[in-house]
Amino acid sequence: MTDHTAVVVGGNRIPFARSHGAYSRASNVDMLTAALDGLAARFGLAGHRVGEVVGGAVLKHSRDFNLTREAVLGSSLDPHTPACDLQQACATGLEAAIYVSNKIRLGQVADGIAGGADSVSDTPMAVSDGLRHALLAASAAKTLPARLAALAAIRPGDLVPDPPGITEPRTGLSMGEHQALTTTRWGVTRADQDELALASHQNLARAWSEGFFDDLVTPYLGVTKDQGVRADTTLEKLAALRPVFGRGEGATMTAGNSTGFFDGAAVTYLADADYTAERHLPALARVVDAEVAAVDYTIGGEDLLLAPTYAIPRLLERNGLTWQDFDLYEIHEAFAATVLATLDALADETYCRERLGLGGALGEIDRTKLNVNGSSLAAGHPFAATGGRIVATLAKLLHQRGTVDGRPARGIVSICAAGGQGAVAILEAC
Amino acid sequence: MTEHVVLHEAPKLAPMLVSSMARGLVRRVSGRRPASLPDRVVQLTCSQDPDRGAAYQRLCGFAVSELVPATWIHVQAFPLQMELMSAPDSPFALAGIVHVTNSMRLLRPVSIGERLRLSSSYGPPREHRRGVLIDLVGEAHVDEELVWRGVSAYLVRGEKLPGMLPESQPDGVHLPSDVELEADTVWRLPANLGRQYARVSGDMNPIHTSALGGRAFGFPRAIIQGMWTHARVLAALEPRLPDAYRMDVRFTKPILLPSSVRFGARQEGDHWTGVVREGTGPKSHLVAQITP
Repeated sequence: MTDHTAVVVGGNRIPFARSHGAYSRASNVDMLTAALDGLAARFGLAGHRVGEVVGGAVLKHSRDFNLTREAVLGSSLDPHTPACDLQQACATGLEAAIYVSNKIRLGQVADGIAGGADSVSDTPMAVSDGLRHALLAASAAKTLPARLAALAAIRPGDLVPDPPGITEPRTGLSMGEHQALTTTRWGVTRADQDELALASHQNLARAWSEGFFDDLVTPYLGVTKDQGVRADTTLEKLAALRPVFGRGEGATMTAGNSTGFFDGAAVTYLADADYTAERHLPALARVVDAEVAAVDYTIGGEDLLLAPTYAIPRLLERNGLTWQDFDLYEIHEAFAATVLATLDALADETYCRERLGLGGALGEIDRTKLNVNGSSLAAGHPFAATGGRIVATLAKLLHQRGTVDGRPARGIVSICAAGGQGAVAILEAC
Repeated sequence: MTEHVVLHEAPKLAPMLVSSMARGLVRRVSGRRPASLPDRVVQLTCSQDPDRGAAYQRLCGFAVSELVPATWIHVQAFPLQMELMSAPDSPFALAGIVHVTNSMRLLRPVSIGERLRLSSSYGPPREHRRGVLIDLVGEAHVDEELVWRGVSAYLVRGEKLPGMLPESQPDGVHLPSDVELEADTVWRLPANLGRQYARVSGDMNPIHTSALGGRAFGFPRAIIQGMWTHARVLAALEPRLPDAYRMDVRFTKPILLPSSVRFGARQEGDHWTGVVREGTGPKSHLVAQITP
């Protein structure tokens, strides 16, 4: 068996749009199809049978059980291209890239596409359990009287629809409320959060103006640029916002330093390094390794959004690297405080020893290497699309860096996800 | 001499509740009532209802499963407690008695398909500074094997009975009224939760099913059945528990409906402590401990 190397060829996404706006009439299938078509156009994949397309959505209609395959069938890719749905909350896009890169490394596919889409505008609404059970019983009934009897069980209250859950089922807390607990526990200040948010907007705005996203984004429904980015925001403007999560002194999280609701889709094209050479495709970065971790947040007293702090040391150890060995860090900005608490935790001796079981703290990193072209606070965060955005962005950044101190530029992606999970991956410039 | 009463079907709770309340009123007027607890064991052998069991598991937060939670066996034995306490020779009326602690031991996993021989009897009355504690001792056997044992302690306020033992018994529940424990998890209890739980448990006490019923007993609204809260705590911890365990619970403050409460738990070795606390206030509603 020969060795296979998985590389990121490139990526494509549609600009991320504020919910209930430009994409309000588009479904997840529509947006994912648009992202695939843009990718196909960019890399000449029209009519090409891709090894496998893997993607998902966090807010998913039951009719979209084959979301990704439907998007493939609606795209210019060869209809013989198989697809698979995968979902890991906000880590969906990254987990999909890990899945595809693993298949490439095993030699099972020569190329693959990983990504995801999410729409808050076109979110599923479910009927109540009472109505659903009555309708199921009625459809299973064999006679008309039995059917009517089943329907008679419906109560007026059963007619109220069930919006999708916005809270963690086992704790009853929203993501923001969970982060507020973590923010307070780690003493993350309002000023630090606002500063991180400002940097995200400034960096993303600069990247857009430099044309960084020209070969990573395809306009969709009249939108040509991420709608969340505010080039003109200032620390004063951010400081004037009212806290929306947390209580008392712990109330430091605002709409400015937390991600809002967005619609969007993103995909990444991965391939075997030899295959890219044969087909004269670019190779931006090699997928080195990945790790997924989970925390015991329901009753274990751990922080819902800090699962990456468990994944990172395991990944570093396996690859013989230290936390300082990276030229670029991409830490998903679910909230500014999530990024700051993650960095604080990894620099905390007690946490690293007692929680993570390490010999000591991983230490601090050079913050100028963090989210250098902005991240979710500015770009917006359509849950399953975020991984695709970050992987493609980091791969391109690494490729631009080329070599550092005679070795390929090295970067790490870290994404926290609902359910107390976190996915991290190492990429190296090609 | 212990009297054995073998029932052939589960007694209906609502009529017992009504007749006991009526008897309470008559006694209050006449001033006459029995002086001691009858020496009686009530027994019932029955199959478990899988539909009701699944509805119970879902409502209390358990995964629907072939194996039943310990609290479900209590629910099935509860009518026997009521049969004892609502009998004409019971020295007190049901209205106004307060469930203060509960202790149960699951000796091995029990499947919903197993026939249970349930029994209930009085333990010796115990002293309490505000009255007398009445222990209802329940057992569940599969054939001759004891699989579950539970003791529910009810406080009858302002009453004393002959032969009372001290409150703290070797077998009793030794739980403080609160524990130092962070409680971050939020449980939202809808207004109709008491009615929903009444449907699956049979505990139709109006204090749980309507605001009017709650007000009749001095609460501003209905209160949730303590056994729902007890079960909800067990459901939160059950995936981490061994096959056999003992769970002790102290009910410290009723939970009004609707409301939000907070839950937290801590593990020390094989010993779990849990607390259900007010949504915003500092007081506890329930304190629990689980030991092997």
